Amino acid sequence: MAGEKVIIMAKNNSLTEKQKKALKLLKSRLNGRLLTHLNSCVHCGLCGESCHYYLATKNKNFIPGKKVDIVSSIYQRYHTLAGKVAPRLYGAKDFNDKTVEELIDIVFGACSMCGRCSVHCSIGVDVPYIVRTARSMLVEMELVSPGLQSTVDAAINTGNNMGIPRDEFVDTLEWLSEDLEMEVEDEDASIPLDKKGVDILYTLNPREPKFFPLSISAIAKIYYAAKENWTLSTNVYDVTNYAYFSGDDKGAKELTERLCDEMSKLEAKTLVLAECGHGYRAIRWEGPNWIERPYPFKVISVVELIGDYIRSCRIKLDPSLNKLPVTLHDPCNMVRGGGVIEVQRFVIKNAVENFIEMMPNRANNFCCGGGGGQLAMSEYAERRIKSGKIKADQIRKTGAKIVATPCHNCIDQLMELNKEYQLGVEIKTIGELVADALVLEEKSN
Amino acid sequence: MTIFHWILLAGFVICLLSCLYHFFMALPAGKDIDYATPDAKTRQAVVYSFTKAMSPKKKETAFMHLPTYTAGIFYHLGTFLSLFLVIFIFFNVSFPTWLAYSIIVFLAFTSICGLSILIKRMTSSLLKNLSNPDDYFSNILVTGFQIITAIYLLLNTGLEYYFIITTILFLYLPIGKLRHTIYFFTARLHLGIFYGRRGTWPVKK
Repeated sequence: MAGEKVIIMAKNNSLTEKQKKALKLLKSRLNGRLLTHLNSCVHCGLCGESCHYYLATKNKNFIPGKKVDIVSSIYQRYHTLAGKVAPRLYGAKDFNDKTVEELIDIVFGACSMCGRCSVHCSIGVDVPYIVRTARSMLVEMELVSPGLQSTVDAAINTGNNMGIPRDEFVDTLEWLSEDLEMEVEDEDASIPLDKKGVDILYTLNPREPKFFPLSISAIAKIYYAAKENWTLSTNVYDVTNYAYFSGDDKGAKELTERLCDEMSKLEAKTLVLAECGHGYRAIRWEGPNWIERPYPFKVISVVELIGDYIRSCRIKLDPSLNKLPVTLHDPCNMVRGGGVIEVQRFVIKNAVENFIEMMPNRANNFCCGGGGGQLAMSEYAERRIKSGKIKADQIRKTGAKIVATPCHNCIDQLMELNKEYQLGVEIKTIGELVADALVLEEKSN
Repeated sequence: MTIFHWILLAGFVICLLSCLYHFFMALPAGKDIDYATPDAKTRQAVVYSFTKAMSPKKKETAFMHLPTYTAGIFYHLGTFLSLFLVIFIFFNVSFPTWLAYSIIVFLAFTSICGLSILIKRMTSSLLKNLSNPDDYFSNILVTGFQIITAIYLLLNTGLEYYFIITTILFLYLPIGKLRHTIYFFTARLHLGIFYGRRGTWPVKK
């Protein structure tokens, strides 16, 4: 456990080697952006209502300002003259066992890095950026939450975060391919594997082949309808990057490089990301910075691709095939942190009869509680479910029977919220809604 | 020029140089390079960050806390006005009576706003948990600066006390919480660039 590791560290004020490493990392990250956000908070305390953790628990230590404060206090203590000379006056804190323990609980256990507080902050402090920096410091100290670390390790060591053996993955896809062939009654329909020279290399969230293969079928059916030239890699297909959540830039870089290499190996033109909020953010926006170069290929979300299919009439949809009222949950990393805001609405409105907006929505939407790697950290599960009450209440108010969201992590959390708060809704990906509304052309000979 | 004029001038120069140092260190450069291909031009988002994104209608921190937000706005206006008046007081420029009294009334009101924020910080358990001595001292210093400005305008005496308080303010500004005078602008800039590149800002609807 992370807490046990804290105890074996130095019991006095002198810094241990690990603590020194963490402070060195903080120093190395001090660019204009980080300096700005570490120096900006005025402790106004008005940010509490923007945070689902604070709203659900009323714990004073969970307000975003407090999360910024603990990291800022360490920065002040070791990297500013004022903090070194008069630490008490400026609230500068020693980086000791107590501070580390508090830091772990706050940055791993009480923040999903959703960024809602930053949008509403009276100054504009980028709270998730600071929280992720703190997580990176804890990576240096080997104090990442065990569940989160094992997810990162699985991705690095096995190629996917669930450790699915390649044979099992291939078997699942072959079965799904046969299933597709039967469903569309076309023996040419298939899920192409490791095909070279394609227009699209599609990625998956490993939870799809492991637990929810129907979401793969849905997307395969859409690709079939659009006559897309696509493939899946059987070696590198994982859209997730939990190293983004843990703060491990080396791991995140390794996972990004693998995708780049696979794109090059398969000579694919566009990397299409499965419905995964953090995967989209990590690959589309953070990846080039981890590998320190722009991608030589295009990266888009499958939701954006489906939007293009609809606009260009490559697929036809019949909304009357989805009669139940549908609401949309905006995944934080895809919407606030990724800028994909309107296209999912366009797609849903074309695929269902009755679409109801959740309030608030878009960049103001509340996190479901499953972000920030929370689903991998079992020690904070109770807190995660409690913080999700804000989302559950939002859903209930819509009166919708189906909640659609382009994020598998959100789906997992929403399914738990559905059960815990007895919402009586069905949770679906956007691909599944679209696949249900697809009108397939009859094959001409 | 009295010795107090020179002290104030020195304090101002130190403040200005320190603020410029903070400002240039906080600007995007070097390690801030973003290799991800932007989705949109950032200029509009930066403008949005400083304008519409700051609107009370857009911010929960404003519309859910209107009394505090309003007090904060007036408190800041009082601070800016007091800082602006330093130039006039330094060069011994006198105001018409009606203007001087208008300023005094306004500064009295903004000082009350500052004090109300201080009282809230001292009484709210949430804020007490978040605050450090610098938060209290900064408020007292700035509120004191507004009060002494008003008193000087009213009585036209005690210039040396006014200069001392103002010099302390100048010297403290780049060190403590008051440095948000600079970082507010770089925070809005960085946030505008961040959301602008990704196409999140400006909000289109």
